[in-house]
Order: sequence, then C-alpha cells, then structure tokens
Amino acid sequence: MAKDAEKSTWKDFIWNPRTREFCGRTASSWGLILLFYLVFYIFLAGMFCLTMYVMLQTLDDHKPTWQDRLGTPGMMIRPRGESMEIIYNPQMTESWDMYAKTLDNFLSPYNNSLQAEKNDECKPDQYFVQADSGDVKNNPKRSCQFNRTLLEVCSGLEDRTYGYVDGKPCIIIKLNRVIGMLPGTDGQAPFVTCGAKKEDSEKIGELAYYPKNGTFNLMYYPYYGKKAQVNYSQPLVAIKFLNITLNEDVNIECRIISNSIPPGSERDKFAGKVSFKLRINT
Amino acid sequence: KYPYRVTCFLSHFYIFCGLTNAKAAEYLIRDGPNCLTPPPTTPEWVKFCRQLFGGFSILLWTGAILCFLAYAIQAATEDEPAGDNLYLGIVLSVVVIVTGCFSYFQEAKSSKIMESFKNMVPQQALVIREGEKMTINAEEVVAGDLVEVKGGDRIPADLRVVSAHGCKVDNSSLTGESEPQSRSPDCTHDNPLETRNVAFFSTNCVEGTARGIVVCTGDRTVMGRIATLTSGLESGKTPIAKEIEHFIHLITGVAVFLGITFFILAVFLGYSWLEAVIFLIGIIVANVPEGLLATVTVCLTLTAKRMAKKNCLVKNLEAVETLGSTSTICSDKTGTLTQNRMTVAHMWFDNQIHEADTTEDQSGASFDKTSITWGALARVAALCNRAVFKAGQDQLPILKRDTAGDASESALLKCIELSCGSVKQIREKNKKVAEIPFNSTNKYQLSVHETEDPNDNRYLLVMKGAPERILDRCSTIIIQGKEQPMDEEMKESFQNAYMELGGLGERVLGFCHLLMPEDQYPKGFAFDCDDVNFTTENLCFVGLMSMIDPPRAAVPDAVGKCRSAGIKVIMVTGDHPITAKAIAKGVGIISEGNETVEDIASRLNIPVSQVNPRDAKACVIHGTDLKDLSQDQMDDILRNHTEIVFARTSPQQKLIIVEGCQRLVSHTDTHTLTHTHGAIVAVTGDGVNDSPALKKADIGVAMGISGSDVSKQAADMILLDDNFASIVTGVEEGRLIFDNLKKSIAYTLTSNIPEITPFLLFIIVNIPLPLGTITILCIDLGTDMVPAISLAYEAAESDIMKRQPRNPTRDKLVNERLISIAYGQIGMIQALGGFFSYFVILAENGFLPSILVGIRLNWDDRSCNDLEDSYGQQWTYEQRKIVEFTCHTAFFVSIVVVQWADVIICKTRRNSVFQQGMKNKILIFGLFEETALAAFLSYTPGMDVALRMFPLKPSWWFCAVPYSVLIFVYDEIRKLLIRRNPGGWVERETYY
Repeated sequence: MAKDAEKSTWKDFIWNPRTREFCGRTASSWGLILLFYLVFYIFLAGMFCLTMYVMLQTLDDHKPTWQDRLGTPGMMIRPRGESMEIIYNPQMTESWDMYAKTLDNFLSPYNNSLQAEKNDECKPDQYFVQADSGDVKNNPKRSCQFNRTLLEVCSGLEDRTYGYVDGKPCIIIKLNRVIGMLPGTDGQAPFVTCGAKKEDSEKIGELAYYPKNGTFNLMYYPYYGKKAQVNYSQPLVAIKFLNITLNEDVNIECRIISNSIPPGSERDKFAGKVSFKLRINT
Repeated sequence: KYPYRVTCFLSHFYIFCGLTNAKAAEYLIRDGPNCLTPPPTTPEWVKFCRQLFGGFSILLWTGAILCFLAYAIQAATEDEPAGDNLYLGIVLSVVVIVTGCFSYFQEAKSSKIMESFKNMVPQQALVIREGEKMTINAEEVVAGDLVEVKGGDRIPADLRVVSAHGCKVDNSSLTGESEPQSRSPDCTHDNPLETRNVAFFSTNCVEGTARGIVVCTGDRTVMGRIATLTSGLESGKTPIAKEIEHFIHLITGVAVFLGITFFILAVFLGYSWLEAVIFLIGIIVANVPEGLLATVTVCLTLTAKRMAKKNCLVKNLEAVETLGSTSTICSDKTGTLTQNRMTVAHMWFDNQIHEADTTEDQSGASFDKTSITWGALARVAALCNRAVFKAGQDQLPILKRDTAGDASESALLKCIELSCGSVKQIREKNKKVAEIPFNSTNKYQLSVHETEDPNDNRYLLVMKGAPERILDRCSTIIIQGKEQPMDEEMKESFQNAYMELGGLGERVLGFCHLLMPEDQYPKGFAFDCDDVNFTTENLCFVGLMSMIDPPRAAVPDAVGKCRSAGIKVIMVTGDHPITAKAIAKGVGIISEGNETVEDIASRLNIPVSQVNPRDAKACVIHGTDLKDLSQDQMDDILRNHTEIVFARTSPQQKLIIVEGCQRLVSHTDTHTLTHTHGAIVAVTGDGVNDSPALKKADIGVAMGISGSDVSKQAADMILLDDNFASIVTGVEEGRLIFDNLKKSIAYTLTSNIPEITPFLLFIIVNIPLPLGTITILCIDLGTDMVPAISLAYEAAESDIMKRQPRNPTRDKLVNERLISIAYGQIGMIQALGGFFSYFVILAENGFLPSILVGIRLNWDDRSCNDLEDSYGQQWTYEQRKIVEFTCHTAFFVSIVVVQWADVIICKTRRNSVFQQGMKNKILIFGLFEETALAAFLSYTPGMDVALRMFPLKPSWWFCAVPYSVLIFVYDEIRKLLIRRNPGGWVERETYY
C-alpha cells in the first residue's frame, strides 16, 4: 500500500497528468526558467568575451608579457625516441629506420638550397640584432642561414642512415627558442657538451660534435618570435657516438655551457640540459 | 495489576515487628535491589561511531571510498598514477574523523554536565525487622518490609500506609500536583495515584510520620514503570537530521547526474572506459562539499554554546535547531510555568479583596498595610502557624529561605515576614500557651497566646482553617479595626469573595481571633486541648488569605512571545483543572477574552451541551474525559482550539497528547496531498511523569534545578535556570541557526561550481587543468571555512520571533532554489571569474586561448620538452607545469575574490546588504583571514614544493574583481526584485 503510494508519487513527479506538470513544473514554468537561464548565460558569455577581449588587447603581438619561467631555455634531442630512450639494433633496419626518417624530416628545412633561398648569410660570432626604431617595427625580421651541411657526417646527406647502421648514431641537440634570449656575453658562444652519467662514464666512448665544438653561433640570436621572424632557423648541434659500448644502457646528459644562461632548477631535468638513454643491441 | 489495595489483614504482631531478617534476605534475592534499572547506556564506542558515520559523514565516506577506488583503478592500469585521488581520499577520511571526534567530545562535554546533576548521595531507609528499627540502605528494602517515614524523608519504595500521623507527601514529581497530599490508612480511590493510602517511591514526605508496608520495589514501583515506559520509547530523527538527509539526496542527485552525463560524454569523446570511470568518480567526488560537515558542526556547536550561556543546555548537537522548528510546546505547569512554591496571592479583609505580591523579586504591586484589620490578620497568620525558617539563612532573601512545615503555612510565614517583619519576634511576644493542630475532622487549627501588652492579662485565641468552618464559628467580623456583628449581607460578601478566590484556583484559608474575657479565663488558666475546656465559638472573623503556586515572572511574556512566533503553547499538567486554568489564564496560555465552553455556558446561562464547541477557542480537558476520547476527537480538539489546557493527566495521557500534536498538520498544509510530517512538538517538564512525553517529543526540555533524574535523562535539552522564558531564547537561536545554516550552505555550495567546471573542461576540450585537487582542498578546507562559519554569527534579517514556525514539508534547509542560485547562477559567474584569470595567465605567458584547445595531450607529456607556444617559444614540461600551477593558484585566488562577494550576498536572503549592514565582526575577520591565507599560500617560500602553489603577479589578483562586482550587483538586483514584488516570479524561483 505504502509502496504503491510511493510509486505513484514518483510517477506523478515525472509527469503529473492532473496538473500537467513535468518534473514538478508546467510547460510555461519550464519555459520561463529555461528562458531565464538562456538569457542569463548569454549575458555571462558576453561579459566573459568582453573581459577576454580587453585582456587580449593588452597583449603584445611579438613578445609575451612574462618570460620569467623561461630564464633557462630547455634542451631537446632529435630523435626523441620513446620517452627519451633510443634503443635499436643496427642489424634490424626496422628498429632504427624511424629514427633516420625523423631526422630526415627534421632536417629537411635546413637543406642548403632552402636556407639560401629564404635566409641571409650573417656575420658569424656576433648577435644579429634587428632593433625596432621606436614605434616603427622593423618587420619582418630576417634570419640567418643554418645549412644542413654544417652537421657534416650527421647531416644525413652522405650517410643517409646517420650512422645508425654502423652503431655510431647521430643525435641532434637543440636549444629551445626563447624570444630575445642572448645566450652568451663577450662574444663567447654557448656550446654543448655531453657526458655519461657516473656509472656509465666508461661505456660512452668517444664523441664527435658538429659544428665544431658543439657551439651555437651567436648570429642566430636573438630570436624575435614566429610572427616577426617567420623563417627563423633554430641552430643545431649534432653529436656522434663513435664507439659506444654495445648491449648496455648508457645514460647520457648534454648541457649547454654558456656564461649568460643561468643553471636551471634541480626539478627541471630539461632546463639547460637534456638527458636520454641510448642502447645499441646486437 | 498494581497491588495498591493490599488490605492489611496482618496481625498487630506483624505491624509492630515487620519481616524477619531471613525473609528479607530471601526477598532481596528474589526481587533484586530496590533501585531503578538505569536505562541501557549506549557504549561510548557506539556513540563515537554514530558521530563518525551519521548523517552528513556518510556522504564524505562515500566520496573517500570512491577516491580510493579511483586510485586503485589508476594504480592497476597506469605506471605512474597521479596521487591526487589517493590524497583526496585521505583528506576526506581525515576530515570526517576529525569532525566526528570534535562533535563526539562536544557531546561528551554536555553529558558530563548531565552526570553532575545526578544525586550521588545514597538514600537511607528506616525499616522495622524482627521488631527492631534499623536504618538500612534504601536499595536493600524489600517488598513486605515495614517502613517508617517522617517529614523530610524520601519514600524508599511504594508503601501501603498502615498508620499515619499528619502525614503529607509531595507528589509533584510524579503527578504534578503542587500541593502536598495527606496520607492515611484509608483506601479512598480505585486509582492508585489518587488513593490516600499509597505513598510512592522517590516522592517526599513533607511532614508528619507514617508507617507502611512496602508493596513494590525498584522497577515495579509506579516511578519505575514510568521510567521503563520512557526508556522503551524511541525518539525520532531531529528535524535538522531530516533536513541534512534531504540535502544529501539533492547533492547526490546533482553529483550523479553530472557524473553520468560527463561519463557518457567522455565515452563519446573517445576516452577509454577506465578513464571515463575515473572521470565519473572524479566528478562525483568533486561535488562533495568537503568543508560543509565541519562548518555545520561548528555552527551548531557555536549555537549550543551560546544557548548554554543563556541557560539552555543542549545534550544533542542536532537538537539545537529543533526548538526553532517547533510549532507546539506542551508545557508542564508545576515548576516550569510556576515557581513550585505556595505563595499568598490574595487577601480579603475590610470587605475587600487585596492582592499580594507574588513575583519572585517582589517587584509587584502591594496593598494598603495601614489598616488595623490587616494587623490583626497578620497576627493571626503569624501565630496560628507552625512553620519556621530553617536556621542559618538570615542573609538570604526571605522568599529564597527554606522553611520547615506545611506549604501553605510556609507561604503565610513568608508573607507575614515580608510585610510585618520578624515572625519570630511576634511569636516571642505572644507566647503560645495551648494549641490544637489541624486535623481532617474539625478542619481548623487553633492556638492560644498571651498578648503583647504585659498589662493585658487576657489570652488571645487565634484560629485558621477552611473558610466555611471558620465562618460558622464567628459571630462578629472586624471591619476597619471595629468589630461588627456578622449579618447576612456580610456573609454574602464573604461567600462572594470565597467563590472568587476559589475560582482563581487558589487555596483559601479563613482566619479569626478572640480576646478571651479575663473573668472566664484568668491568667494561668489551664487550657486543655484534648478535652476542649474553652470556647471555640462566637469568634471574631478577621479575613481570608488565599494561596497559589504563582507563575514565574518571565512566563507570561515568554508565552506571549511564543504566540507571536506562531507557536501554540499547551499546558499539560497533573494538577486540578481549576488551578490549571487559573495559571493558564495568569500566564496567557488562555489569553484574555478567550472563553472555554464552560465559560460561555455560564455567561449565557445555558447548559454546556448547547454551546457550539467551535465558538470556544480555549478549552480545559480533564484527564478522565481524555480517556474516553477517540483519536479523531483528540485531533479535532487539538486542531480547533488554539488554547488548550489538559489537567489531571497521567503520564500515558501526556504521551497521547504529544503524539496527537505530532500528528497534527497545520491548516495551511491540509490542501497539499503529500504531507507526511505533523507539527514539531516540544515538551517541557520536570517530573518523572513527564519523562515519557519528554522522550516522545521532538525535543524534550527538562528542568535543571527541580527536574528529576529520569526527566533529565529523557530530555534533549535542559533549562539550567528552570525558566520557561529560556525556551524563547532556544526558539530564537534555533530559528536563527536554521536561517544562518542556509546561508552558510549556500555560500559553501557556490564554490563547488568553479571547482568542478575546470575538470569538466579539462575532459571535454582538452585544455591544461585549470584547478587542481590540492587547490580545491585549500578552498574547501581553508579559505571557505571561516567565512562560512562567520555566517552563523549573522544577525537575523527581520524579527524572527514574529513569523510563523517553518513548515517542515515546505521550508527545507536546502531546496531546489538554493541549488539553482548557488550552482546555476552565482557559481557560474564565479567559474567565469576563475577561468578568466586562468586565460590571462596563460596568455600573458605566451599561450593564447586559441592554442589551448586540444593541447592537453602534449601539455601533459613528460617527454615533450619543446612545446611551442603562440609566440614560437618552446617550453619544457616543468616550465609549463609551473605556469599551470600558477594558473591553479590564480584560479584559487580568483575563487577567494569572488567568494568575498558571495559571503556578502549570503549575509541576507531578502534584505539588501545596505539594510543589513556589516556589523558581523567575525565575517569581516573572515574576509581578511581568507585573503591573508590565500596570500600566504601563494607567496610563502617553499609552497611551490609543498602544495605546488606559486607566487602571483599583483595584477593577477584583480582578474576576478569584475566578476566579484557582478555577483554583488546581480544579487542586489535579485533581492530588490524579491522585495519589490513579493510572491513574484523572482521570489518563487530564487528565494531560498
């Protein structure tokens, strides 16, 4: 009996034919409340858009308001591998083929012909400053050539396998782009140096850096942002492992050495350095 | 059947010798000790568990379990599971446990105060066994024992009186009668409570001595039966517990609806089933207001403390609010409404009724004390009186002093002491030479004294007693100090005065005196009191004095306040109808101008049966009539009379009355079909006879000073000063906390939306998470707490004592409108405020809104350390996470900023803030506190590691300010519309 009453009240709540109420409201009541919420939310959306618009007006097109989180630029390698681990077997083409392809793709914009077509030859070892004169923007800004051939054996032009087939792989290192960053003072160009983590120091073997000494030439800095400097070519450093111990994990860390880049925080493993694991199986 | 009629066929030998020690020992083993079985006490751990798992805690436990479940799923499926769910689960559990402990200790404190009430002194009893009087522990008394009691003793068990000398017992704790009852060996009534030959366990013998045979001991006594009846009753859920249950239903409904919706959405968007389940759990848990349990508990505790300060001790925290919802108060008369002390109320002399001052502090009007007649009356009252003040109370005010003697004699003593000075001195000056004590056959008391004047050798005979008997013995009357013959006219005016005073429910005594002629009774005359050798006729009538147990001073005002607050006050008493009605009229329970059926009948001079019962708003119902009423008739009486007095009621009948009131549905509600609740009934009482009703009531209120232990155990609340007026405080505080809890909940729930929406958008449009679990907890358990609690201190918006009690079916603590306002309107504005600052920070750091949609996969990829922003810069994982956590901090700060406005708008539900003012200092403190806490969390070094909160640029604090202003303006407009257009659409849809 009580259960019946309960049931009928539930049914009544969903659709009460007596009062023509659906979920406790009549059609007009539903209409009004929905209309209210519609109007209310449209108004809110309008208000939100207005504040967003005002905020966007305050932004500079070429430089973000704050860059304090990018004090130490990050570093990254190509190929990235599976979560910073590069593992392959020279005998099995399919295990390193994708690395070579990644590098091919990555390096294709650096082909000498393309660079020559789009970018300028700059004066090396000094910043390529293209200052605006007051309010008049000096746009678009030009960029310096970074030719693929600078990477020599790691350019993939002669050795299309980037050394992977010989067990002497090339890894390309880049420094994250940060607008306006000047990575060295007194004409001292920053350079990359790689080493193994302690326990692996014997396994890493000899390394070769391209360009020489693994430097990022100063002429590629400062960066002016992708809007002003459309064809910017990020400078690269390639390292080649000449006789790395096979069949063992080798943890490698590369750092940027510069007299103006502050050392990154402990927590960030990719600020001013990059760590990865390399393992060549046979 | 109760063995009260045990007739004593026993030999004189037995009556003098009692039981043998051996028999007594045997009976003691058979019947057990003579004490009440204490009600089964709930073990402490059960009480603790109730606090841990009761009501609101269930919601949090469910949340915690879901969190652990989600974490378990994540741990099983992912390599590096995010710890958020685990932490959240732990925090939820900790919150419930801490709050549970808090309220457990809070209630333990109240019960400790309760313990202190208990009378720990063991009772002694004088029994006669084997012919020898012996004092034994009252617990060892057995049925059949011969017991002797004298004035001042507590009756050790139910006694069948076998002999008595002027024995009077005070049954007020059992029946509510304030007058002591005389006991004698005669069986006068079938009802054991009415018959004179039974004295009851735990009542007091006031005077005289009596000998009786124990008929019942322990739980089998009348007192024991009532106590058993009480402990057998189940008290229902408190109204606030029901409200919280309803609230949990609503919240769960919303949570499950949101959860399922987004679960389906997530599945459609291509998330895996497991991920969708994690989302489902996350959304449901996000709906749990973590801080609310603590807020509600603290608010109730604060109110309980405030009430305790005003002499209302609340045993159960949830009962704090119950008085506020009360629509009917069933009050006991004796001790609650009255002072439980006979006091001279009126006098008749010089053919005129004079009113005495009956107030506790002697602030009332006084009468002309210069009349010679008054002097004579006072002298008679002082001399013909055996009551004396107990020693060592000289510094106490007269009314507070203890006396030895009969209640009415004590009343006379105090009255004379107050108006004429020391009675002791009067008695010393007029030495007593002879005395005939009161007995039931001659119904008077007489004494003979020497006069004050040493030259006057006449004796003064003074007499008091039942007025008609006194009048019969008088031939003259003293008017304005002159003796006049008693004529018919005088007799008639005496009759009128007697009737009038009797009609007021007062006990009337007549006084007369005679200066005995010196020639017949020379100095040294030997008065023989046993064989009266002097005249007791042809005396001179002096006057009448009438006594009543007067109402407490504050009661009429309190009853008036209850009435204007829409609360019906019903008197339920064991006392006589006339007395009950007189007191009811005196305190306003029957208000001036309202008549009972009997009043109408006597005014119109027609039989009672011809009066339409609907014409009478007031009624006085006798317990014996109540017995014959059907349930429908009972409901009819309760519904159709606004002013009701129940007299001569038994404990069971009190229970029936309370149940009747609880069934009663208010008039306004009868048209809705879905009602299930009746009225919420409060019962006040102090006697054992009240305790079943106290337990059955929605809130039982016992008296702290005069109340019996049984009643205190059955009650939910104790009035420490025994003052009915304190109940009004309770009602006021209860109503206020109900209103303020609404505000508190509205405030707390609002921030749920800005806490949930970030997660929803994170799932749906794949933006970096705008607000993390830690920051949510910082809001719910950190910044929101003090402002939410401060709302408990908010002053009432209007006179809450002028409105009707809330209707438990319609006026809910949390209703759809509150959810609609909090979630649908204010919460949405808040969410936009938070999102705005989120977008500001990301944009100012280089991630414009356009790039954000869909960025989540790369954003949360640890191995992607060159994520490009809108400007072409590249970010490592850690760098962009810092920005993300800065966003969390900013979102958190924005919620604090919009909650400023929210707490200000939540101060009022109808009034403008400008009308209400900002007088709530705690709230202002709360505003500063939450801001300081937010700043502390953001700027303290080390917070980046501890809570992943980062310092904000000063400008980011202001992002949400426009939204804060919008909330304030929007709500002011809403409230303006509510005030301008009462009952309009805005009120119907948004007034919570």
